Amino acid sequence: MIEALLQTLLNGAASGGVYALVALGYTLVFSVLGVINFAQGALFSVGGYLTFLLMGGKIGVNGALPGWGLPEGLPFWLALLLAAAGSGLIGLLVERLAFAPLRRRNAEPLLALITSLGAGVVLVNLLQLLMGAEGYAFPQSTDALAGLPDVLVLGGARIRTIQLLLLLISAAAVLVLSLWLDRSKGGRALRAVAEDATTAQLLGIHSEAMVRLAFFLSGGLAGLGGGLIGVSVSLPGPYFGIGYGLKGLAVLVLGGLGSVPGAIAGGLLMGLAEALVPSSASGWRDALAFAILFGVLLLRPSGLLGRRTVEKV
Amino acid sequence: MLTGPTPAPSIRTNALPMTITPPPSTAVRQRGALRLAALLAAGIGALAWLGRSSDPAAKPLSAGPLTLGAAIAFTGNANLYGQDQRMGLAVAERWAQQSAPGGRPVRLQLEDGASDEPSAIAAFNLLIRQGVIALIGPTLSQQAFAADPIAQRQGVPVVAPSNTAQGIPEIGHFISRVSAQSSVIAPLSLDEALRRDPAIQRVAVFYAQDDAYSTAEVAIFQKALAARGLTPVTVQRTQLADNDFQTPITATLPLKPQLVVLSVQAVAGGNLIRQLRELGYRGQIVVGNGLNTPNIYPICQRWCDGILIAQAYSPELNTPVNRRFLQLFQQAHGDRPPPQITAQAFTAYQVLFEAIQRLQRKGGLTGVTLGQARANLMSELLSGTYNTPLGPIGFSPEGEVLQDRFYVAEVRMAPGGRDGRFALVRERTLTEIPGQESKP
Repeated sequence: MIEALLQTLLNGAASGGVYALVALGYTLVFSVLGVINFAQGALFSVGGYLTFLLMGGKIGVNGALPGWGLPEGLPFWLALLLAAAGSGLIGLLVERLAFAPLRRRNAEPLLALITSLGAGVVLVNLLQLLMGAEGYAFPQSTDALAGLPDVLVLGGARIRTIQLLLLLISAAAVLVLSLWLDRSKGGRALRAVAEDATTAQLLGIHSEAMVRLAFFLSGGLAGLGGGLIGVSVSLPGPYFGIGYGLKGLAVLVLGGLGSVPGAIAGGLLMGLAEALVPSSASGWRDALAFAILFGVLLLRPSGLLGRRTVEKV
Repeated sequence: MLTGPTPAPSIRTNALPMTITPPPSTAVRQRGALRLAALLAAGIGALAWLGRSSDPAAKPLSAGPLTLGAAIAFTGNANLYGQDQRMGLAVAERWAQQSAPGGRPVRLQLEDGASDEPSAIAAFNLLIRQGVIALIGPTLSQQAFAADPIAQRQGVPVVAPSNTAQGIPEIGHFISRVSAQSSVIAPLSLDEALRRDPAIQRVAVFYAQDDAYSTAEVAIFQKALAARGLTPVTVQRTQLADNDFQTPITATLPLKPQLVVLSVQAVAGGNLIRQLRELGYRGQIVVGNGLNTPNIYPICQRWCDGILIAQAYSPELNTPVNRRFLQLFQQAHGDRPPPQITAQAFTAYQVLFEAIQRLQRKGGLTGVTLGQARANLMSELLSGTYNTPLGPIGFSPEGEVLQDRFYVAEVRMAPGGRDGRFALVRERTLTEIPGQESKP
């Protein structure tokens, strides 16, 4: 019984950690601009492919440059960090192309949903053009990452080593980001812009720079998630990030729009909800997870840890 | 803060009109209704005439090249299969050019049928409107059930290269396929697993419940298991987009299965195999047609080794047309064997191309409308026999492929686990398969 419970907790935490990472990316952008960046799923895919290429992976026969790859691959950890930074830069590009022009024209925030969705579709199609539709395995296998076995047995429960690493790295990334937001000058400036951009500007904070920083960090988190998932389940094709992006979006709403602790709690809850679905009904996992989301929102429309906003008339 | 004079409030009145018009008499109303009906009838007639005049099927067959349309998945989750099919069609075009039979040239028009039903329908509609003589596609059986009825209604021949679900040719007279249905093929790999280990009693089944093909195939697997006296210890339902199978696998392993049967698509299947092995499963794995592609190698890597699969194509088949197909494929894509789905796409093009050549020789494309040419081509297609990379094939009057040779392959991965091959372990003819002696 305890073994089964532990297994469920581990299964839920492993997938919940990645959901939290994706949701956190959404949260950063939402908190400063009040809009959702629908290109987040595509940035997730970009991160996976960048990690693969930086580790010395070669482009397949259906890509634009078949057989092309770096002459020397980087170690996984370095490749992962550089790929996250690369995804962050592409996130920045998405901001310049899909968000900034609308902001300058004071356009309806709703339009940014469409432009970011368009940017995401373009990114995924570019990936397919460049890399082809085939799956890719990372040049270094998981045992080469840490000299660890494929599977770990914890109190009778089994977990793939890579999933445990994935959970730990996600937790570390979330912790570092939370500390940075709370303790650093830059983090506090970002929060100030999220609170009230005009007042922050009057206080000498460069709001535009903070917006760009939010997009960079958000893209970086998506890229980190993509690289980690890529090493866990390979790269199954350019569209693989879209599913995680949608799940992250649900987690964002579940946790509370714009709430960092909410994104983490929402991710873990969503992961656990999925893991709790009995195996005989595993096909209904998504339906049950979203039913929980629906139920929580009925009871708490602002999400688990979201703040209730009061509109003055 | 106000910045200008306050505008006067606007007042909207809903006052009644000052004069009252008397209601029209009955005769006037009838005259108006008649005029309106006449106008509507004329409009509908004009639209029908315009529609008919723009229907390419009603026009005489043009003297230019004949166009084959192919609606396959370039985008979406099935793009992996579409990519393989595109390679097969490109090789077939080169083969057709080099075979130089004379007569009217045949050209291929590709359209993205994506991975969902609306896109397949849109691609079929577009190609039909553009006046193709026949269609190849779509990639998924699920799409075929939605798009094929459109071609059927408009009398356009369809050859499906990869639709193996039950009921595809039954959609209508104009629908055929070169991909043998899974009920014939799937049980062969089970027999091989049981031949290797006759003591197998405990079988676990995984399938994608939101995929028409996988649900149809798993029913065949379960029927075959029951016929062999085996009842699954668990049936795990997954979804097409799943990549993480930790939960269903950890629920299955305590049941100590000796054989795992998978009916899922390639990417999910590759991940499922890898995770099964990583989590400690060491028994045999039998997989369905969805994993019939070398694209699984990079995903399940060294863990792919030893999986059993029944196939409708073997690169090791030693016939002139298969050797030629292999040669052309390897010229374009390097020294690797073509996937089954590539061979089936080649075959779809080949049978249409050969039927067109025969029809031209018989004069079936002279002085006819496109619609008649399409009907003539369908009859010619069904009546012919073909030497293809899949072996000799023909069609039943319903359009079902009549194929005699099938294969069981085992995946053997190269050292390092980066690449592998489907090694032929057994060849079966239809007459050797129990219950299939009198069926196509």
